[in-house]
Formats: sequence, C-alpha cells, structure tokens
Amino acid sequence: MIRILGRAVIYAAVLALAALVAMPMYWLLVSAFKASDEIFTATPRWLPATLEWSNFARAWEGAAFGRYFFNSVVVALAILLLQLTTASLAAFALARRRFRGRGIILLAVIGALIIPIQVTFLANFVTLERFGWIDSYWALIAPFTASAFGTFLLRQAFLAVPEPLEDAARLDRCTGLAFLWHFLLPLSRPTVLAFTLVALVAHWNDYFWPLIVTNRDEIRTLPIGLAMFVTQEVTTDWNLLMAATLFVAAPMLIMFFFTQRYFIRSHMHAGLKR
Amino acid sequence: MQDRGGALGRLIRWRASSRLAPYLYVLPALAALALWNYYPLVFLVDLSFHRLDATSPTPTWVGLENYRELFTAPLFGRVLRNTAIYTGLTVPLSIGLGLALALALNRRFPGARLFRTLFYTPVVLPTVAAATVGLWIFNSNYGLANYLLGLIGRPPIGWLTDSDHALWTIVGIGVWKTFGYFMLVYLAALQALPQSVLEAARLDGARPWDRFWSITWPLLRPTTWFAAVIALILSFQAFDFVNIMTQGGPSNATNLLVFYIYQHGFQYFRLGFAAAIAVVMFGLVYAITALVSLWFNR
Repeated sequence: MIRILGRAVIYAAVLALAALVAMPMYWLLVSAFKASDEIFTATPRWLPATLEWSNFARAWEGAAFGRYFFNSVVVALAILLLQLTTASLAAFALARRRFRGRGIILLAVIGALIIPIQVTFLANFVTLERFGWIDSYWALIAPFTASAFGTFLLRQAFLAVPEPLEDAARLDRCTGLAFLWHFLLPLSRPTVLAFTLVALVAHWNDYFWPLIVTNRDEIRTLPIGLAMFVTQEVTTDWNLLMAATLFVAAPMLIMFFFTQRYFIRSHMHAGLKR
Repeated sequence: MQDRGGALGRLIRWRASSRLAPYLYVLPALAALALWNYYPLVFLVDLSFHRLDATSPTPTWVGLENYRELFTAPLFGRVLRNTAIYTGLTVPLSIGLGLALALALNRRFPGARLFRTLFYTPVVLPTVAAATVGLWIFNSNYGLANYLLGLIGRPPIGWLTDSDHALWTIVGIGVWKTFGYFMLVYLAALQALPQSVLEAARLDGARPWDRFWSITWPLLRPTTWFAAVIALILSFQAFDFVNIMTQGGPSNATNLLVFYIYQHGFQYFRLGFAAAIAVVMFGLVYAITALVSLWFNR
C-alpha cells in the first residue's frame, strides 16, 4: 500500500514538472498561430481560434530572416565539416599510431575541453581584428576549426576498432587515410552522428560568439537576427515574435525528435568520460 | 639494379612518411587549438596588464592598474555576489533535479521515453528562443506567469523588472534550460551500474532509501563529480538570458560576470579592463573546480 502510494506521489511530481517544462514551449507554439487580437486577452487563450499561418510570412518579412537563415546554414555546416575533418585526422593518429609526444598531444586536446569561449573571446576578437576578419564568415567559422570534444569522442570510437582489422586491411593495401575513410569512420558511424548532432545544435544555437563578431546585418546568423528583432522591435506583436522564434528553434527541435538516440549516445560517452 | 634502388627508395619514403604521418594528421587540429584556445590564455593575461580602449587604441602597459580599479569598483562586489547566488543555486538545483528524474525514469515508468524527450528538449532549444518566450511569459503587465499567480490569488510580480525577483527568474530559466542534460548523464550512468550489487541488496531486504544512499549514490560519485564540474563551468558562463531579457538590470540585480566582461569589452570598449575581469573570473572557476575535484577524490 505504501509502495503504491509512493509511486503515485512520484508520478504526480514528474507530471507536474513535465507540465512546468512543457508550458513555455507549448505557449511558444500556439502563440505563433494566434491572430493579433488573441494576444492580449484577459484570460489567456490556450488554443488559437484559427491557425494564422500568415504570421510566419509577416514575421519572415519583418527582418532579413532569409539572409539570417542562409548564414546560419552556411556557418553551421562549414564548422561541422572543418571539425569533422580535423577531429577525425587527429583522432586517427591519437588512437591508432604510436609516436613521440602522443601523450602530451592528447593531454593538450583534453585540456582544451575546459577552456570555455568566455576565456578566449576577448583575445580571439583582437586576433580576428588584426586579420581584418571581423564582420565576415571567417570570423564566425575560423575559431571553431578544431573541436577538442569531437577529437576526444572520435578517438574513443577509433580505439574500439580491433587491431587485426587494420592488419588485414594493410594486406589489401588499404592503409593510412584510406583505412580511416573506408573502415574507421564507417565503423564509428554512431559516434560520428552523435558528434554531428551536438556540433550542429551548438553552433546553430550559438548566440554569444556571433554577437561579438558581427555588426552588419548581411552577416548575422538567426539567433542574433532574432534577438535584434525582439529587442529593437517596439511592437507588441507577440504572435509575430513567436513565429520568428520558431524559425530559429524548429530546425534543431525537429532534428532532435528524429535522432534522439544519437543525442543520448553522445551523453553516454560524456558520462563515462570522467 | 635500378629497380632495387626504386624499391629501396620507396621503402625509405614509406618509412619516413609513416613516421611523419601521425604528426601531419594531428597538425590541423593542434594548430587550430593552439591559435584559438591556448594562445588566447596567454594573450588574455597579457592584455589585462595593458590599457586598450578608445583613448588608447594601441595597448599601453599599465601594470596592475586594471586589477586595482576592478577590486575597488563597488559594482564588482555586486556582480560577484550575483554570480555566487546564480552558481550556488543553479548547480545543485539542476544536478539534483537531473538525478531525481533519472532515478524516477530509470525504473519501469509509464511514458518514461516521452518524459525523457520532453525534459531534454529545453537543452536543444536555442537560448534566444527560450529568452524570447521568457520575455513574454514573465512580462509584468500581461505575461502568463502573473496570470497564473492571479489564479492562486497572488498579486502580480515584476519577474524581470523588480530587483528583488529578477535574479531568481534568471536562475529559474537557467535550471529549466539545463537540468535535462544532467538527467541524461545520470540515466547513462545508472544503466551502467552493476545490477548484481543492487539485486543483492534488494534480496537482503534493504529499503529503497537505504539502497540509494549506501549503494547507488556512492557508485554514482564519479558521475556526480563530472556533472558538478560541467555545471559549474556552465553556470559561470551564463550570459544569453541576461543580455536578452534584463541587460543586467534592474539596477544591476542580474549583472553576472560574463555580462560584466561583455559590458566593459564591447559596450565601453575597454578591452584591457575586461581582460582583467576575465582573468579573475577564470582564476575563480578553476579554483572552485579544483576544490570540487579534490573533495570528490579525497
């Protein structure tokens, strides 16, 4: 009896928390579809009377969202490609080759994990200014050429590939980069995917760094564009603001819902990393 | 003859390249980390001893002047206090909530997968999106939060505009956004626990509460250490919500360290002074992280 009661209490607590967590996201979603006269009602409308799809078109034209969207895609994909390249090359050497200084290099990679951007941003801003790269794609992309996290994650995955496989591949003259491309990466697909998702989300959502290095509207990414739209817009058209917010949030949320298990996988590694 | 020479040459080249190859492989990553992650550490410390601002566009050496100014600035104390409150609350709350949910959802629990997805969603949501919805929900005149307060017969609150409440609101949003991450970290750890030990304790008739404190919690210690370090570093980085929702206000009630650095660096363009704040902040972060690590590994 006490056990059943205990379970009921736990279930109720989880449900209450779920409601609290879901509420803002639900509010975001339904408000984006509300007509303007449904925004300020004495009692909030939990469901819109009609689905006002035109909100999205109006919001899209309210600022250069097309441009921001394009910039976000370019920047996130460029960073991802760079990081996958540098990380898999480095991870290959660190996991599968013996060479002098390997231990120290691995330590340097792991050490970089705990240097957050808030330590480096002032110096990197000055460096980029010297390069003349402020307000360009370079400024948004170059500082993220390497990923300590990705390198470490891929190294762990590459370590798990058995040694005899490499010997067998060598007999077939599949060595070096060919082995990396044809064996290590395909065999580590879940880890590669997990890292891809984590990196995409991190850089698509990133607000801090683009805020520092962009001043021109043509170069802004979605999060900055949205923040400008929200804070500069004196409007109280919250339905349009919510619609614009969905432009930023929806791509990653949709991706997350379809690829959850890979996200979870990335944390399995985090949990075991110690 | 020539053929053998060719083969020998190939062999030598192959040997040389295979000895050099690993260095070539790590070079791109290492060069980038050196330029964008390690060099800035040195540069930051150096910058903090210089004046670099509108009146002095090239760095001039000022010694400890920036630090002297920082430690005598009355606002700095306020910012430190705000950051201490923010960190002191978000770290235990997000980790505690994450652990509690992981424990609840780890058992046969109806809808466990759905709950897991839901609790993790805020982690994937862009901070800008969360901040925008937050601005509306916590609007003191027509926000949803005050409507809900009204339903339970409470007067409205200036969630973001009252200096007694704003920091708590920012803390709440911070926890809302991050606890799902720790839930997943703990879920992963719980699934990796040795089931035999837990099973043995169950057969010995240990109560769930005792089982948790004497078996699960000690076994989770490395995970909790990892979570604590990550949560600490994350909480010191808090910036997005402050910049979008409160601009550090009202009257600096939500001015946190990174926002303070940003203000001086990119609103007042005093890079040298901002660097000094950053150096102090990172001294603090790493000192606390080291203490936490020592405590966990004692």
